[in-house]
Amino acid sequence: MKTTLKKGLSSGVVFGIVFIFLLLIGFINVGSTMIGDLLGNTENVTSGHLPVNNLLLMLALMGLLNGISARRGLGEDKWWKALLGGLLAGLISGILAWLAIWLTGTLSMQGTALQDYLPSMDPEELNFLRFYSTPIAAANTYLIYFAAFSVAGAALSWLFSIRGWFTKCWQSCKSGVVNWKGTRNISGVFENRWVMLVVFLVVAVILYFLPILWGSYWNYIMGTVAIYIILGLGLNIVVGYSGQLVLGYVAFFATGAYTFALLTAPTPHGIGLNLWLAVGASMVVSTLTGLLLGLPILNLRGDYLAIVTLGFGEITRILIRSDLLTALTNGPKGVTDVGQPNWFGEVFSDVNYMHLLLLLVLIALFIAKRLKDSRTGRAWVAIREDQTVAQATGINTYRYKILALLLGAAFAGLAGALFASRNQFAGPEDFTLMVSINVLCIVIVGGMGSLPGIVLGAFVLKGLPELLRELEDYRLLVFGALLVVMMIVRPEGLWPAARVKFKKPSEKQMKDLATEVEK
Amino acid sequence: MVIYLGWRVYQTAFGEGTYGPDTWMRFLITGLVVGGMYALIAIGYTLVYGILFMINFAHGEVMMLGTFAGYFVLEVFSAIPAPTAADPNMTFLNAQPVIALILTFIAGAGVSALIGYLLEKIAYRPLRGAPRLVPLISAIGASIFLQNAAQLLFGPQRRQYQNPDLLWRGTGWMIPVGGKEVMLTYTGLFSFVLSILLMVGLVILVKKTKLGKSMRAVAENKQAAALMGIDVDSVISKTFIISGFLAGSAGVMWGIHNGLFNHYVGFLPGIKAFTAAVLGGIGNIPGAMMGGMLLGLFESLGPALLGLDFQLKDVIAFTILILVLIFRPSGLLGEALSEEKV
Amino acid sequence: MTRAVIEANHITKCFGGLTAVDQVDLVVPEHSISSIIGPNGAGKTTLFNCVSGFYVSEEGEILFFGKPINSLPTHKICQMGISRTYQNIRLFGEMTVVENILVGEHVRLKANWMEAIVHDPRYRHEESESLERAFELLEYVGLSGLENTPARNLPYGAQRRLEIARALASQPALLMLDEPTAGMNPQETDEMVAFIRDLRDSRRITILLIEHDMRVVMDISDQITVLDYGLKIAEGQPAEIQSNQRVIEAYLGPGAAALSEKFKQKKAQHA
Repeated sequence: MKTTLKKGLSSGVVFGIVFIFLLLIGFINVGSTMIGDLLGNTENVTSGHLPVNNLLLMLALMGLLNGISARRGLGEDKWWKALLGGLLAGLISGILAWLAIWLTGTLSMQGTALQDYLPSMDPEELNFLRFYSTPIAAANTYLIYFAAFSVAGAALSWLFSIRGWFTKCWQSCKSGVVNWKGTRNISGVFENRWVMLVVFLVVAVILYFLPILWGSYWNYIMGTVAIYIILGLGLNIVVGYSGQLVLGYVAFFATGAYTFALLTAPTPHGIGLNLWLAVGASMVVSTLTGLLLGLPILNLRGDYLAIVTLGFGEITRILIRSDLLTALTNGPKGVTDVGQPNWFGEVFSDVNYMHLLLLLVLIALFIAKRLKDSRTGRAWVAIREDQTVAQATGINTYRYKILALLLGAAFAGLAGALFASRNQFAGPEDFTLMVSINVLCIVIVGGMGSLPGIVLGAFVLKGLPELLRELEDYRLLVFGALLVVMMIVRPEGLWPAARVKFKKPSEKQMKDLATEVEK
Repeated sequence: MVIYLGWRVYQTAFGEGTYGPDTWMRFLITGLVVGGMYALIAIGYTLVYGILFMINFAHGEVMMLGTFAGYFVLEVFSAIPAPTAADPNMTFLNAQPVIALILTFIAGAGVSALIGYLLEKIAYRPLRGAPRLVPLISAIGASIFLQNAAQLLFGPQRRQYQNPDLLWRGTGWMIPVGGKEVMLTYTGLFSFVLSILLMVGLVILVKKTKLGKSMRAVAENKQAAALMGIDVDSVISKTFIISGFLAGSAGVMWGIHNGLFNHYVGFLPGIKAFTAAVLGGIGNIPGAMMGGMLLGLFESLGPALLGLDFQLKDVIAFTILILVLIFRPSGLLGEALSEEKV
Repeated sequence: MTRAVIEANHITKCFGGLTAVDQVDLVVPEHSISSIIGPNGAGKTTLFNCVSGFYVSEEGEILFFGKPINSLPTHKICQMGISRTYQNIRLFGEMTVVENILVGEHVRLKANWMEAIVHDPRYRHEESESLERAFELLEYVGLSGLENTPARNLPYGAQRRLEIARALASQPALLMLDEPTAGMNPQETDEMVAFIRDLRDSRRITILLIEHDMRVVMDISDQITVLDYGLKIAEGQPAEIQSNQRVIEAYLGPGAAALSEKFKQKKAQHA
């Protein structure tokens, strides 16, 4: 009994606080709008009022979640206990919601300018949240809905657990999230050579036709995804393979982009170098930057390495936009009219550009895979696992760490050149710390050291936000929360790296057969 | 390289047409005031590192939320009317500035302490045994989350602290230095004195109280401490609470002294305070204090001394960080970090 | 004339105020099994770490086949032909069993990153050969069939064997084992003893080990060096060490030697 009450209480409190938080950041509104869009239930033109049904639906959903969470881990229980727990959760969160709605509603109607302090609380929004009626009536609605639906949620959960459905479903979902056995099996299929070839051909054909078919908007977005895949692969070599946590990766991206820009743009230097050579130059300069960063940091441990490289990234940005280097970099204004890729003078269309990007992504994936399954790759993973022992086992750790950094920088340099070329612009504000963090998230959330994971990560973290345009404001919030949640729930990433499976060499098998025959 | 820098310092310090002693005094005062705040935040980093061996990336955001909390309290107080015969427009803030300030600090430090506690409970505790990378990423995630939560809750615009008239920014005593007059702002002095008081308080806490002893024990050896009957989890929570408390105080000070702030206010000071903690020797409390003051001074005096642009003062902080970590990773006061051997 | 694989003279290593190893000389003859023993805190692991390059001794010189290896980085030492295992097993947990062994072979292989990308014939040849050698070692230590298991999933005994396999992969002339039988039951211990003997006999590897299990030490050692409080207090063959008074007292305390003499006499009387 006590546990039921405790769970109900804690669930209620948590949901209540979450609700207030979401209320204050305006998410309740946005959520309702999204539900409305989903159901085709949009603004009533005459009254200018947004349909409140969406809001009710949202409350219902939240209530259900609350109820379900109040029953988490309780398994089979007496029905009235389950309902009681749900009711308690619903009442607590309902009361908190009641207070919030009543308070904000009353203050707003009184004319207090809440939005000066809490921008999401502007009167129009609050009006909607109050169902366009009085604060008390609205607050009551919230309370009733929360209480009722929490009970419903608890009942649902109880029903499922009684039948065993829910627990089984929950378990398999949980283990699905935590284990994803499916992905492990898929890797097995990929070992067959012929399957690989067929898959590759199919993918190649698809990749050829897609950019033509889906239009320039998607080409742009997928282009960004492609560039970030390359960045992710590069950082993966540094973080995923060799385990060096570099937070200033954007520095290499920036130097690559700026080298390309400065070599091809008419101002400030007017060098006008051939674009393909410029790309090569970008990679070289980035690699040199990698050397510059890499040598001093060789002796640093995990956390320190992170901070120093973060500092390095910031220094790069500050220097680029500083007055000190404006003569070189054009300062905060950035470099415009950067060269666009062309083939003997004919400028690439966005379809051509996309093809180019896809080709480069495939090459990058190829290189990354070859490196991973080689002596070099194994040396890196050994360094990541236990640097001291790796060195005692014969690996020159300094050399391999620098190598990882240089290769990673080269990838970033390439990505930078492509980025500048596509945007035809390079400016210091494109290379902030957030870029480094974005790439890091792609690597970690996708799966450290895992190539399919990184591709997936790039799609999820760069592609999805485009699809969910309405949630743009909340993107970083979700980012941050996602990182924390991923680390707690699934630190190995969405598609974890699988170690290569080796088969016994065939001569051995012959020898074994021979000995077996002898027996 | 050192010679070149030394020559530049000489030039700017003693050359003609450069800064007079009054300007140097001004730099010095700024350096000390800022240094005090950095020191408080740095102590927070060092406390957490000493006990968990992780960098609390979100510490800057803990400070930021304290700044916001203090702001709101001041706003409330300045909205409460307390009319007197002399001044019908008088607000509570100005009628009872001392009480108001005390409550502001309590609110700011309290909120930060709470956030610190929640941070540990939600984002760090589940990851206690995991490899180094995992809690670090979680900390980064928490930092981003808090920063954006603040932005979404309160909006991206800069807000201004409503100091009581008594402690209005830009007012202070005029001190004659080298023929001219330099202002020693009330807010600056207030912040500095409070910083010192808090630091002294912390040292007393760590050295004399039972909690302090427990903290040191847990920092040395968690298992042994647990075997001795110390509730390790509770000590860790309290460490976060204390470090949050200090950061929150620094946050409120920042608001009172600098006035303008928004949700980014924690980012740079956070990194710089970390630099300071490393400079002094991470895990070493007096080191963090010293590092904070030194960094404040470097930042303030550095650009002038070296004849560089003030734009680059952040670069100075980062460069110091890098140099210290490369050449003396144990910091100025720290013990040599033993690479874990066989 | 047997060469000295290791010749260490006047090794001294201090940590702050504590002298962990004090002027210790050690000679390890080729193709022998030499043991270092001593009570806890005697400085065995410290000496071990000095020889394997993990610590740099304050004083003294360490020669490997006559070449000084004092301040060489550990990967160079491995390259020269010294491999070791660790008291608390340190495998590359995420990697599979066979990958751990392949990493062990790293120092004997030549492929660089560019060849890895290109997969030229020489690279492929080297990879397949190294894989064969790895599987051979796998079988030698008795881990066949476990090649694709992540190392951290192995049972304790198997992990120890894998660590030895990894150390053997670099084809060392000297194999240093840090408490190889720690945590093993008598049967596993016997297997390990036979195994170590075989390493010396059929693979012609010199073995230097730290051990606490006296039965093992007395059974297989050709030479035993005894340390106590950082000093070498005895050296010689098992029989000599067993009856050495100083050694007995180091382990059992002062007066123990006399006690043990008394018991020996009593036993002789009753017999």
